[in-house]
Parts: sequence; C-alpha cells; structure tokens
Amino acid sequence: MSKEPSLSDYVERDRELSVQPFAKTIRIAVMSSFTTNGIEEILRVKCAENNIGCITYFGPYNQYNQEILNQGSNLYKFKPSVTFLILDTRSILGNIFYSPYSVSDVERKNFVNHKIEELDSVIRTFTDNSDSKLVITNFNIPVYSPYGIIESKTEYGFHEMVRELNSKLSEITKKYQSVYVYDFDRFVNRHGDDNVFDYRQYYFGDIKIALRYLPFFIYDLMGYIKAITGTSKKCIVLDLDNTLWGGIIGEDGFDGLKLGPTPPGNAYVEFQRYLLSLWQRGILLAINSKNNPDDAMQVIRDHPYMVLRESNFSSMSINWEDKVNNMKKIAQELNLGLDSFVYFDDDPVNRANVNMRLPEVLTVDIPKDPSQFVSILTQMNDFNVLKITEEDLTRGQMYLQQKKRIELEKNATNLDDFLKQLDIKIKIKKADQFTIPRISQLTIKTNQFNLTTKRYQEEDIRKFSQNDSVLIGCAQIEDKFGDNGLTGVFIIKKESPLEWEIDTFLLSCRVMGRGVENGMLGYLLQKAKNEGVKKIKGRYIPTKKNKPCEGFLSCYGFKQEGDYHVFRLDDYIKIPSYLVVSEE
Amino acid sequence: MSERLYGILSKVFSVPISQINDKSSPETIENWDSFNGLVLVDRLESEFKVKFALEEFQDVMNVSDIKRHLKNHGVEID
Repeated sequence: MSKEPSLSDYVERDRELSVQPFAKTIRIAVMSSFTTNGIEEILRVKCAENNIGCITYFGPYNQYNQEILNQGSNLYKFKPSVTFLILDTRSILGNIFYSPYSVSDVERKNFVNHKIEELDSVIRTFTDNSDSKLVITNFNIPVYSPYGIIESKTEYGFHEMVRELNSKLSEITKKYQSVYVYDFDRFVNRHGDDNVFDYRQYYFGDIKIALRYLPFFIYDLMGYIKAITGTSKKCIVLDLDNTLWGGIIGEDGFDGLKLGPTPPGNAYVEFQRYLLSLWQRGILLAINSKNNPDDAMQVIRDHPYMVLRESNFSSMSINWEDKVNNMKKIAQELNLGLDSFVYFDDDPVNRANVNMRLPEVLTVDIPKDPSQFVSILTQMNDFNVLKITEEDLTRGQMYLQQKKRIELEKNATNLDDFLKQLDIKIKIKKADQFTIPRISQLTIKTNQFNLTTKRYQEEDIRKFSQNDSVLIGCAQIEDKFGDNGLTGVFIIKKESPLEWEIDTFLLSCRVMGRGVENGMLGYLLQKAKNEGVKKIKGRYIPTKKNKPCEGFLSCYGFKQEGDYHVFRLDDYIKIPSYLVVSEE
Repeated sequence: MSERLYGILSKVFSVPISQINDKSSPETIENWDSFNGLVLVDRLESEFKVKFALEEFQDVMNVSDIKRHLKNHGVEID
C-alpha cells in the first residue's frame, strides 16, 4: 500500500505554500453531494509538488444539479479546465438506500433508469456549456443488504441496482470525449469500506470520505490533473541488479541470478510483466546500470526467464559511469526532458544521488523486498493520458527505429548525407476525428520545439478545425526506418486575406534535427502564397524548455518586427531538397 | 507530555506553541473551527493510537477537555 501523509500535514503545508510561479496552472472545479472540506488543501499541496499552480472553485453544498443546469452559474463563470463531480451512493439513492425492499423490483429498475436519465442530462448540459473535462465518481456498492445472504439471489436487488447505475454511467460517458468516470467503488475496494467511511466523522460533520483516506482519494484524482496538464511521465529508467532480477550479475553470475518461477525470482518476473504492459501502451523503458555491459546483455538476450528484452529498451546505459551522467545521456538520446522520467533503483545511495542532483526526475522509493515492486508501480498515478492514441501503442517500436537512425547518423560522412539517406516524407493531414486527439496531445506534451507553447484540449482543436479563419493541421513523418506517426502540428490564424499569423508550430522531439520543420514551414508559406497572402508573422515565446526553436524563424528568413518575426511571401520559399512534402 | 499535545495543536492550528495552554479554545485560536477540530481529532488518534467516541468529538470546549478524554483512553498528559 502506498503511503500518504495525514490530512493535518496537508493543511499545515498548504498554509505555508508560498506564492510562486508554477510551470503550469490548472483551474479545478469540485462539485459534490457532500462536504468537501480538506480537498482544497490537499489539491493545492499536491499540485504544487508537481509544479502545477491550481485555482479552485467549490460548488455550494449539494447543489451540483442546479449549478450545472443553470447556464449563468458560478461554475460556468469560473471556466474550469477540469471539473470533479463527486457523488455518493447514499445521496443518489435517497430513501431507497435504507429501504430498498420497500418497493418492487420493477420500481427499483424504474428508479435506476430515472436516475440515469437525470445523470445523462446533467452530463449533456455540462458538455454543452463548458469546455472543461468532467470526471464523475461512480458509486460504491454497499457492504450491507437487508436481505443478507440471499441478496445475490434477489431479482434486481439492492446491490445490482448500484452495479447497474455504474455500468450505465460508464456507457453514458463513453459517448463524450471529455467525460471520465472515476471508479470510486474500486477505491473503496482497495482501501476497505471500514477505513474509507468513518461514521463518527460522518455524523459529526457530514464527512463522507474519512479524513485519513482523503489524501489517497485526491492522489487518484491527481492522475487526471497530471494527464490534463501534460505532466505525466513518459519513460521508466531501470537499474538491473536487484531491480529487474535478484542478485548481482557480476558476482552471482548468469546461473546464480534470482529470476524465474521460484521465489523471490518470480517477484522479479512479475515486475517485468507489468513493466512490459506499460511499454505496450506507450511508456518507454530504459536501463541505467553499473555493470559490465557484456555480462548484463547476456542476461537480457539469453536468460530464459527475462520478460523484457533488448527491443523493449529504448536506451541502455550499462557502464561504470556516474548514474546521473547516464541519466542525462538517456534524456538526450530519447530527446525527452528529465521531468519525463521515473527512476527505479533498489540502491538507496543511487536514488539519493539522482534525487539530489536531478530533482526533476521522479525517483521512486522502493523497499528491498521485490514482492512490493508491482504494487508500487501499479499504484503510481504518473502514467496517465486522456486518450490512448495510435502513437502511444507503437511508441516503443518507433524508438527502436530511432536507435537505428542514430546508428546511421554515426556512420554517415556528414549531416546532409545522413538526411538524404533517410528518405524523409512529410504527409500533411487535416484535423479530423482521427487526428484531433493526437494534435491536442502534442500541444499539451511538446515542450522543446514549440514556438508558442499554447496548450489546447481536444475541444479547442475541434473548434479550430470548424473555423474557416483558422488553418490547422498536422504532419506525419516517415523515413526508411519506419513511420514516426503524427509528430508535427501547425495552427495558423488567417487574420485577413493578406496576413496570417502562426499561432502554434511544434514538432515532437522524436523528429527534431532532421529539417522537418523547414519542410513543414515551407509547405505553409507556399500554401499562403497560393492563396494570395502577402505576409506571415510568427512569434517565439520563450519558456524554460523551448530554446531549441529560438532561432528557427529568423534562420528561415523571417525578419524581426517588434515582438513578431515576419516573412513576406514574395521572398524565396525554401524547402530542403531531400524532403518530400505531400498533402492528404 | 503537555509539550507533545501543544506541539500537535500548534501544527494543526498554525499557532506558536507559546500561545497554547490548557484554556486555549476555539474562542482564543482563530483556526480552530469545526473542520480543523476534526483534523485535530484525526491527528490525535494517529499520534496517540486511540479512538474517540462520537460523544467525545462533541465534548471539547478547550485543551483541558482534550487532556481529559485522552486520559480516559489511558494517555496521561500531565
């Protein structure tokens, strides 16, 4: 079980939070059918820990219906980016909660259908009136039934009512891109009914979730906040000895390692299986280990019980160098910021070293006992995305291709030669139902080659795509090693028939350094010229991370005019000769 | 032992420990509202490994009441 400080620690730390500029901010609304005291403090502290500033709005006590149905409500005025609607079984069932068998099964069914219609209408109204993501908690199935042991034999019984509420709620939310169900029933299962509900607090102060468990609840909600703010992690960096397998290869040798069907080897196998499942959905894996590379590679390649193999690791630093330097090298090789990394290492000294010198990396505190590794990994809220895209599912493969590209680059005589050999093809695509989730994901996640770093949710992108005065699209980059997927985005505002402005221009770090940006920009300039536009202006808004694109516009030939860089379309439009740009 | 209790109160209500005595109450400590009162109970229960009854939740007018309830649960403060 993961650990959480007590609520009083959060309350205390919240009072001490200094007003500091955060890397990101988020507007959070909380609507609830019960008292939400304490949630605000925990949210603020947890957001601050992740370098997120949060501005909160708490709806009035048990008035979520009115707030959502009234278009002029304070909820809508607040303009949240995420809204948590926290409901509870007791409130939704009302009198039925206490006397489920005072009415017939048909009446119980009608009651559930009626409640579902109500929820459906609340959700629909909310999505019509707000661009906010909506997270609704589902309902925990009570442990009690007046029917006792025959509850499960009862036609449309009390517990089945709640289960049906939950399954219908899930069905409704699948209709909406921006609505999510938080599985509160699973939360109660995990922590236990007797723990999550403290009836003394409930009778005394209408506290529905025991104060001691409130931090665990908010921990789960942070998973959404991290995904929305693009602060989820992208890569797990792993040590080898006593982390991926038991024992030390340099001392115990290939045959002496604990990895296989018997304990404790089975705990390491299981840990690897879970890591593989994360890799399969787009989380990268890397190795940072002090070892003789030959010894370690022999295990990775040939050990019969290794689950993870060479192809699962996007970067491998197996050497005797300082782990901090290795970590930086991995970041460079994968072109990811250090804050995208999670670090697993059994050695507390290594962890302290990385933690102190690279605080951006999330160093996970793991115990010596490998049986705990899986639950620590599976309870982390750091790997969430709002939607699994095609790119997520093939990311591991793509980085494998990237390794081959790096090989080619090493062997090429010069950069031009390398780029020519790559056979890069840029396919420009429209923003449509297939590309919109990925376009939004890129605006949220891309930090380095991003001229303006404007973050857009899917709803924003959809609106742009329907707006005639906006040109929005994305680029799919392919080369001889494979498909890099959708990795470039542009959003151009057509301010007038003669002048366009670049609102967003970004490139995923995966395809940086290959002149793709010039191909994309050249395409845009040519398109503008064909439509009779006279000039295009763009801006570079500096952040801590987007230095790589600082000189991009001026290098291309844009001239500085005040805050803007301007390109006149009678100037020569260059597109690198080794690139093939096409439009779909 | 008073120190330990005062230390907890000082943290939960964000007041200097020097300003806390047995007569301190919601009237004299600004942050001592009903919610922070519950936060305090939660903290006391985990610090002293006790479990208060609902009636004890309600029967707290000042710090000496807390001491009295703790004593009933076998925690001697003075």
